[in-house]
Order: sequence, then structure tokens, then C-alpha cells
Amino acid sequence: MNLKISALEFAQQVQNGNISAEDFVAESIQRIQKIDGDLHAFLSVNDDAIEQARTIDKKIKSGDKVGACFGMPISIKDNMCIKNSKTTCASKMLENFIAPYDATVITKLKQQDAIFIGKVNMDEFAMGLSTEFSAYGPSKNPWNTDYVPGGSSGGSAVSVSAFECVASLGSDTGGSVRNPASFCSVVGYKPTYGLISRYGLISYANSIEQIGPLTRTVKDTAFLLNIIAGLDHNDNTTIDNHNEDYLSGIDSGIEGKKIGIISEMIGEGIDPTVLSATKDAISKLEGLGAICEEVSLDMVKYSVAAYYTITATEAGSNLARYDNLRYGYEFPVEGYEFNSYISKARQKFGPEVTRRMIIGGFVPSAGHAGKYFLKAMKVKSKLTKEINEAFKKFDLLIAPTVPILPFKIGEKIDDPVSLFLVDINTVTANLTGKPAISIPFTTSNGLPIGIQLFANSNQDKLLLQAAHALEQTVKLPEVPI
Amino acid sequence: MVTEKEIEHVSKLMKIDVNDHAEYVDKVHAMIDYFDILDSAGVESEEISMSEISLSSLREDEHITFDEKLIEKLNHYKGTYVRAPKMSS
Repeated sequence: MNLKISALEFAQQVQNGNISAEDFVAESIQRIQKIDGDLHAFLSVNDDAIEQARTIDKKIKSGDKVGACFGMPISIKDNMCIKNSKTTCASKMLENFIAPYDATVITKLKQQDAIFIGKVNMDEFAMGLSTEFSAYGPSKNPWNTDYVPGGSSGGSAVSVSAFECVASLGSDTGGSVRNPASFCSVVGYKPTYGLISRYGLISYANSIEQIGPLTRTVKDTAFLLNIIAGLDHNDNTTIDNHNEDYLSGIDSGIEGKKIGIISEMIGEGIDPTVLSATKDAISKLEGLGAICEEVSLDMVKYSVAAYYTITATEAGSNLARYDNLRYGYEFPVEGYEFNSYISKARQKFGPEVTRRMIIGGFVPSAGHAGKYFLKAMKVKSKLTKEINEAFKKFDLLIAPTVPILPFKIGEKIDDPVSLFLVDINTVTANLTGKPAISIPFTTSNGLPIGIQLFANSNQDKLLLQAAHALEQTVKLPEVPI
Repeated sequence: MVTEKEIEHVSKLMKIDVNDHAEYVDKVHAMIDYFDILDSAGVESEEISMSEISLSSLREDEHITFDEKLIEKLNHYKGTYVRAPKMSS
């Protein structure tokens, strides 16, 4: 059984009867059992997955209508609710939380006969970019297990990269899908804000976060987007995509398209090998008929500070619900005064979550809001104006997904500001609501480098076409695991 | 420049114990200091843009029955009431 096929190949092969969903899912679980002790992508595995696959095989044999996923094993970041399953957010605070309902993305995938093979690791409450802040221990990069896989959707990227499943859903607040996709050499997609419902996604920073697929190919991302995108009455920030078909015309090419190279994302602090890879990608796009030239987005310099100020503020509010009275772990209330009980219970938060909650209380507080939060919101507004202006001249923008190569586990964990700056190329898409994608492009000393393309809001289809065109120019080595 | 005393005060308001000074106060200090870069962004005159959703676009505010008793899922549900810590010491 070849587990190294794309999601679309899987669906076609099961539909044609070349493979059974049950065999594929069973072998995927065997692979998880064999290699995940080293990689730690999964926090839990679905014990019913094989039985669910068997049911889908029976439906196919009896000629019943079967959904487009045909029993496809998909992993889900552990901050999305699957009814009657543990949803921990990689936090000890929620270690026994059983979700009472399905997230909208889960409902939509269930309707198309996807199988959720397991819940995958992440930085606690999605706060981090290396998966080192998981309360259950870090995930490891399958390209070199001494290195981080990126984050916060690190488990998602590892599970797809290491062929433990065919696709995954992550969430992207400041690059949390694209960063691990780049570090693990898979495709990672952050859609236009509002394209995918966040209902059932445990909130971190609602105004900018989005669910996004991590897949082996751009076509697989388009396939999943066809299923999970669109209006949802449970999330009033969703937008009507008029049932856009993101797969049709995906091979339209990029001849004549104008691509802006974001100067601030290829300048100071970029690793020379990442810069060289970016130049190669630009040459390839020009070879395909695109016209590339530099464009400046001045506010990018301030984007990381604005991003962390805004997200910490929203996190401080969102995480206030974790008082251990409504959700939480076993910890008796007897003998405690209200405030001291909550303070004591919150000691289960990990260090990064605790720090961001403190910042989230500080930056919007009376006396400090003008210096921090309001200024961050103004940077967000100005950055949006700048990128909108750029899209008057360009169809797409390009930059490396991450300006540095994957780093070693533990290398940056004690230097929060150094970790912040890893996000410099990804937060712009979140702050401005634009769609962006990381495409695996090359490797350097065995470590992956991803290239990022951006499009204007609601130009997701164009973005996927361009990403597919670039992807077709690339021949990558196989992951060494 | 933010002071350690201010950080400790906000932590208390956020109901967070900062018993590990190096892990919380020092690192939070460094993080907030980095945000000082916003002072040089030159955005003082910038308007904050907000996206608006009209009332007519919101779903009806009506009761939707849930098929399970969610109150039973609370940590401290005692059959007829929920136990909470006392409100004053």
C-alpha cells in the first residue's frame, strides 16, 4: 500500500476500487504507531477510524452515494471541536475536555465522508510557532528530528509530511499554518478572512485567525477548500463565496500576471539560503510568463509588534473563560475564595499562555492603550491601506514564508523576541485579511524552504492557480523518514 | 518603559500568579519593551478602520435547542446546583 499519495489520488483510487478505505486507514494507523513515538504529531488517535472506513467501503460496494472524501484520513489540529472527542488545545487546562458539538468544518467534512484519524499537536492555545509550547511535549520535524516542525499547527504539518495521513486542518493566526508547512515541506493555506467558518475553533484572536488546510499538493488544498469554505450562520464573519470551485481552472498558469516582491520581507535578517531560494522562485515565475518587480510595504517593519499587541489583547479576553468552573480539570473548589481559586487553577496554563495573558491585560489597559493597542490597530489599518495599494498594481505578492531555516528544538525558546521575529513574513496576511499560501520549494542541508504567495481578498482562486504553477516547477527530495 | 511593578499589578488583575519571576515578569518585560517600536511607526494621525456587519446580516436571536444537558458537563455540577468558590474570604 502506497501511503505517499495525494488526497485527490486517494479519493480516485478508492472510488475506482483500486484500494479500500479500510486498508489505507489501517496502514496509516500502523504507520502512526510505528513512527509517531519519535515525531509526536498526534495527541490522540481515533479508535473508530478503521470501522468508519469499513462502513464507507460497504457504501461504495453497495452503490450508495459516497461523499467526495471517500474515507480520506485527515488529522485535525486539537483546537477544533469534534463531538464526543477530546479537544485539549494542547493544554493541561483542557486535558479532559470532551467537545459537545462539531465545528462547522468538521460537519462539512463528515458530510463528505472524511475520516478524522486523530487530533494533532500544537502550541498551547495556538500561541507559538515551533510547537515547543505544547503542554504534552514538542513535535519533531520529520526532515531532521533535532529541529522544530514550526507551529503552531506543527502536528498537522508533521502528520502530512511524514505520511501519517493525507491532509490536515490547522489554524493560522499569524502564520500558524504556513510556518509549519514551510518547515516540513507541505502546502499550507491561509484563506481570505471569513472564507472558512471559525465556529467550533477554540478562540485565540478572533479578528484575524482562520482555519486552513495543510496538504501534499496545491490541488489537494483546492479540493478541501471546495468542501469547507462558505457562509455559515454560526459565524457572522463568514463571507459568501458563491460556491466557487477552486479546483476548476487550477492549471490556468500565470502568464502576464504581475507579482510584487515585498522588499521588507527579503531584507535585513534573512538567511542567505532563503534569499537565494526566493530569487530562484522569482526566476521560475518569470519563466512562466509572470512579471516581477519589488514593492515596498513600509508597515511590515511594525507588523510583528502590532500583531502581538492585538492578539494578546484578544487572547486576554478569550482565555478569561478558563476559570476552571465552566471548563477545566479536576480541582475542588472547597476552601478557596473566588479570586484565589481562579489564580490557583490558572497555574495549569503553560508559560507562554501565561505571559500572553499578562500582556493581554497590560497593552489595552487604561494608561497604556494609547501607546500600545491603539497604535497597533493604526499600524494594522495603515498596513491594509499599503497592501490594497500594492494590489492595484500587482495581481500577487511574493516573499519567503519564513526568513530563516528551521531551527533546533530549544534554540529560541528562552528568547521570546527572537521567536516573535520568525513571524515577520506571515503576520501581514492575517492583519490585512488577505489570503496567502506556502508552497514547498527547495531544501538546504536537508531542511525545507517554503515560498509564500499572497493575493487580494477573495482572489483565493487566482492564488491557488499561481501556487499550482510554481509547484509544477519544483522537484523535491522525499522526506527521510 | 514599563516597570516590573506594573506587570505584577496587571498579573494580579488578570488572576495570574507570577511566582516565577524570570519566567513571567522578566520575559513579559522584554516582550512589552519590544512593542516600543510602535512609537516610531508614525501612525498617530491614522484612522482605525473597522469592518461592520449590519444588523440585518446577523442571524435571528432565537433559542436553539441543544440535544444534551450542557450544565451536566460543568466541573462542579452537583445534580441541582453548581458548586463555586466562596465570594469573600
